[in-house]
Amino acid sequence: MDPVLAEIYSTVLDAAPFVIAGYALLFLVLCGYVVFITTKLKRTEKKLAALEEHVDELK
Amino acid sequence: MANEKTAGEPRVGGRLDAIAPWAIAIGAILATIGFVVNFTVAPLVNGATVSEPALIGGTLVGNKLLLSQKIFYWHMPVAMVSFTALVFTAYYSIRFLMTKRYCYDVRARLATEVSLIFVLCTMVTGEMWTRFEWGVWWTWEPRLTTYFILMLMIFGYFILRNAVEDTERRAVYSSVFGILIFIDVPICFLITRLIPSSVHPVIFRTDSGLSPEMLLPLLLSLFGFMLIAFGLYRLRLRTQLMEDTLARIQDKLED
Repeated sequence: MDPVLAEIYSTVLDAAPFVIAGYALLFLVLCGYVVFITTKLKRTEKKLAALEEHVDELK
Repeated sequence: MANEKTAGEPRVGGRLDAIAPWAIAIGAILATIGFVVNFTVAPLVNGATVSEPALIGGTLVGNKLLLSQKIFYWHMPVAMVSFTALVFTAYYSIRFLMTKRYCYDVRARLATEVSLIFVLCTMVTGEMWTRFEWGVWWTWEPRLTTYFILMLMIFGYFILRNAVEDTERRAVYSSVFGILIFIDVPICFLITRLIPSSVHPVIFRTDSGLSPEMLLPLLLSLFGFMLIAFGLYRLRLRTQLMEDTLARIQDKLED
């Protein structure tokens, strides 16, 4: 590779893991929160359905 | 929250909740387009001067090209979203203190929760940049310090909520604390104007130095993350209100 070009692009490869890690971590944090919300929502929906059944049985 | 009044509360389950999943989907698409444009259209920024300039793609380049700056295109939008969510925290906290309706306390808490998620996103992306550019994980730079204080205050908000058992006192204390957190937002936002720093440039000004190719992915990501935050907030609110309804029904059945 041309030494001038090598100097111009010298930090690109070194920075790549940090850039990838930055984007990946951000994505993971958001995905984690989405999973947290959907798990909570599904669990609550199940509990509500069970409660409805219970109320119907009481009637 | 099981025995709290629901009369006069803002509606849930209406149009806003119907569009929430769409907001997340459209937001994700916009952020993804922003990501792609960032790596395909937006040019690499200049770093230190090189010994001899070279012609690349018809342009004379005399500086090192920095890839690490690409983190900025998602870092800054998520930071802006975290600030916006705290505006809603303050709004709902004030509404609670004015009306004493618990629905506003719930909304303030969830807005703070969403803000915390985006604060964490800002922190992890910022950390990656700091680690590469400065070779350290942390430095007491003005913006970093004020943002760190903001994050600690949000942690404090949730610690406070867990520490107070009485529902009414908890809501009042956390509403006041929510407003206090908000006070740090303009300080954090304006700190780069008050104490100029080479690391955090002033973006929102007439001459920000951003070319249209750089501004496009930034704005796409900003709108994308705003929509994602809105969708997540509505989804979380729906879940919380269902949990509260469940608790109320269970309480009534036990009675």
